[in-house]
Amino acid sequence: MYMQGVANRLGVVFFPAFDWAISPTHPERQERLLYTMDQLKEEGVFDIPGIEEYRPDEAGLEDVRRVHFSFPDTESHLTPSHLIAAGGAIKAAKLLREGDADKAFALVRPPGHHAMKAVHGGRGFCNVNIEAIMVEYLREHYGVGRVAIVDTDCHHGDGTQDVYWHDPETLYISLHQDGRTLFPGSGFSSELGGPKALGKTINIPLPPRTSDEGFLHAVDEVVLPILEDFRPEIVINSAGQDNHFSDPLTDMNFSAQGYAALNQRLNPDIAVLEGGYSIHGALPYVNTGIILAMAGLDYAYVREPDFDPESLRQDKRTREYIHQICSQARQSYFHPPDSGISRNMEDGYFVRSKEIFYDTDFITERQREHLLDCDHCSGLLLMESSSSRLKNCLGIEIPRGACQRCQSAGQMYFDKAQQNESLRNMQLIDRPGGAVRRFRRE
Amino acid sequence: MLLGIDVGGTHTDAVLLDRSGLLASAKVETRQDDLLQSIHAALGRIRDLAGEVEVQRFNLSTTLCTNAIVQDELKPVGVMVSAGPGIDPENFRIGDHYEVIRGGLDHRGEEIQALDLDQVEQCTKRFLDQGLRVFAAVGKFSPRNPEHEESMVRAISDRAAFLTAGHWISGQLNFPRRIATSYYNSAVWPIFNEFANSVESSLREHHISPQLNILKADGGTMPLSQARRLPVESIFSGPAASVMGLMALCDIEEDALMLDVGGTTTDVGVFAGGDPLVEAESVELVHRPTLVRAMKTESIGLGGDSAIALSEDLCRVGPRRLGASLACGGEQATLVDALNCISEETFGDRDASIRGMREIGSGLQCSVEEAALRVVRQSCRSLREKTMAMLERINERPVYTVHEFLESRRIEPGKLYIMGGPARLLAPYLSREFGLPVVVPDNAGVANALGAALARPTLQAELFADTHLHHMTVPVLGRQERVSRDYTLKQAKRDLSEDLCRFVRDNYHWSVDESEAEVVEESAMNMVRGVHTVGQDIRVKCQIKPGITPDYEGVVKCICKELPTG
Ligand SMILES: [Zn+2]
Ligand SMILES: [Zn+2]
Repeated sequence: MYMQGVANRLGVVFFPAFDWAISPTHPERQERLLYTMDQLKEEGVFDIPGIEEYRPDEAGLEDVRRVHFSFPDTESHLTPSHLIAAGGAIKAAKLLREGDADKAFALVRPPGHHAMKAVHGGRGFCNVNIEAIMVEYLREHYGVGRVAIVDTDCHHGDGTQDVYWHDPETLYISLHQDGRTLFPGSGFSSELGGPKALGKTINIPLPPRTSDEGFLHAVDEVVLPILEDFRPEIVINSAGQDNHFSDPLTDMNFSAQGYAALNQRLNPDIAVLEGGYSIHGALPYVNTGIILAMAGLDYAYVREPDFDPESLRQDKRTREYIHQICSQARQSYFHPPDSGISRNMEDGYFVRSKEIFYDTDFITERQREHLLDCDHCSGLLLMESSSSRLKNCLGIEIPRGACQRCQSAGQMYFDKAQQNESLRNMQLIDRPGGAVRRFRRE
Repeated sequence: MLLGIDVGGTHTDAVLLDRSGLLASAKVETRQDDLLQSIHAALGRIRDLAGEVEVQRFNLSTTLCTNAIVQDELKPVGVMVSAGPGIDPENFRIGDHYEVIRGGLDHRGEEIQALDLDQVEQCTKRFLDQGLRVFAAVGKFSPRNPEHEESMVRAISDRAAFLTAGHWISGQLNFPRRIATSYYNSAVWPIFNEFANSVESSLREHHISPQLNILKADGGTMPLSQARRLPVESIFSGPAASVMGLMALCDIEEDALMLDVGGTTTDVGVFAGGDPLVEAESVELVHRPTLVRAMKTESIGLGGDSAIALSEDLCRVGPRRLGASLACGGEQATLVDALNCISEETFGDRDASIRGMREIGSGLQCSVEEAALRVVRQSCRSLREKTMAMLERINERPVYTVHEFLESRRIEPGKLYIMGGPARLLAPYLSREFGLPVVVPDNAGVANALGAALARPTLQAELFADTHLHHMTVPVLGRQERVSRDYTLKQAKRDLSEDLCRFVRDNYHWSVDESEAEVVEESAMNMVRGVHTVGQDIRVKCQIKPGITPDYEGVVKCICKELPTG
């Protein structure tokens, strides 16, 4: 009997971009998915009845502009590869919604979860947030509402967190190596989302050397109970694979078996590849494991040649610490502390200031953000931003489901801002109107 | 002089030709229980027509192996696989004697676990005790490093009548396909080998001693010696023969489609810039995907004898066949009967067709002509939809580079070539439905035999080099050697095309120029460890593509007159 039947029809959008690199010896280089391809082909995964390989779509600029404030403009941060990676995620979403697959995996590069709401350049190998582009595509074209993104990349997905900070309809849960020990240095338990979306961002900063046991504990004790309460229409796994015990950039002890088990329990509708740079020792096995688990197939024999569960076992202290972090994270969702709300108000707006560093492009950005405290919607967002390369930018977002007042206030701000000589670059994202306006002062 | 025989499902066709053109052709019924007799009969006919002749090459296309597999007349095979980590190899179990041997390689071909030679020995003994004589030895990632397969071969070969090692089949990565293909190769060997012996002695009886070649699924030939080693490559040569036949008859230079309309099915073939599309991963045998390289053809369940089914005010054609058409004395109205009512040319018993269509017409409350027209249009629409879906799948194939994503060429057929019994009747309707000019070649009746006769050798091989490990291998040609850090893609391409040509010259008795070895895929990627480039991963795929035997191009060309569209 050739292969058991799949429990879920799985679409795999595979795009390894063999001719694209950030730079020749950068971890995000041509070779990254070469051995993953070899493993998948040799395993014959695309011959398994019910598992189908697809070519990605190419995302349009409008798909990016719906999500990001890009300065000076959208095009300057993009190569075709970014649009294809984002288009790969979109293709995965389409497969699901068009009924071509029950689940989908966008195995594409480059990744996206460090790209924030405003984009001045590349951060953590990311220029645009491919998950966010996919999620907003789903909302725009398929009327999807509540979405949960579970980010299992080893690095805190500060970009995705930032994009959805104020969105009560998007639950963002990140499991990552503690920010005190790894880029980007954020993702602490106290980061819980904006005042209008408190508890919809949940961070689980795990200690170095967390193993399968610790990750699965977090899934069972935190992620699954929260998902059950939040009731998302779609669950997305932001499936970075750099928490692998052999990854050169990080210090965790996750394995292919653990990764497959995580996906089996999480049962995501869509997985999107993020990081993962152990290109020989981890990616071929982890990706095979994810594919089998998502399709509902046996993955018991998918293990790394050097896998030794004994040597990866967590010590008692690590285990206790993880349990403590997890119960705190769970508490933060079900009973978000009042102290988590920024009480900093100006004329009825919540105010927040941020400084952002773009490690890939070596840019520093300062932001000042105003969110209208609206009783009728999640509130108009104004974001002033200046970077070390480009000063005086403004982003305005009229959010999905914005009330009439926020809609007209947003348009008015954009019109008025054009008369302000000091502002040089402006973008208005008008979600209810399905439009983006841009203005650039020469 | 060239002789070609195509043993098909119902007929066996034979042609004899020289550089001046077709000398003789013959058609006899195929006796499924005795293919050899069918060949014998066809040969006899040719001899009656042409007398004693000197035949240099005899190319044979036969359903022998396909039938043996589909009808499950296979000999038992002892299958040994070594797998390493990944999908549980139990999933790929095939046949009644399948054993997983401890040992494994990783994706670079580096040993993870040594092959358990004791287990190989015990397993061999057990297989022999069970009376097995043919074997297959397949290792995961053997195209990267054939060592484990070679070890198994060394252990078994002295005691085996026949043996297949996975890497002899293909350099393409796909373990489950390699297992299935190796198994089938060994399982059909006893039948094929005996058949080959009989054909040779039959030729002696006919006093001809040509060089004997077997047609492969990719439209190329292999010498009998090679076919005895890889008999599985002879499966599904029928559709390949008809594609080659079309190439012999017509000058195809553009993107085009071939529709070969048979009794129950229509085979669709695709040409890109005049070359037929060939694929390494298209053939399935008894639901097992294989690595047999084959013409990219798809079979649509609609042919001339497809029955017309009436439901409410709709009529449907196919996929069922309930016997011959009314025109040929059958009991049920078919597509051919519908065509017979509205065409100028007639076929068989036209009155019977009209009676049948009148009945259909009364069900649909319309005239005979209208009913017939609806049936024909419906059939053409169905053929177009399925053909376009196939084309879409080809055009939407995954690509792995930004360059290919942005630049890859779509196949957009500009012409339709129609063959098969009802071709001439169906042509104007298909032309209108597809919106394309149509060609119905003459001599299409013996196209398959012509295709077989005029086909030439094909071969494909893959080279893989890992200059970090100083390792280079060309699995199907059995080449494996140490290379330096400085080995380049350019050298790899030259090595592979030279090897390929040498192999063809030595084993196929065919002189081939290196310019004919076409590089179809190439890549060289830097391998980086830490921040240092430590080597290159070099991959080249090279082929000698299907084509018509040189000097015979054009000898049977038909006047490919285009029918006016619509
Ligand atoms: Zn990461
Ligand atoms: Zn509002």
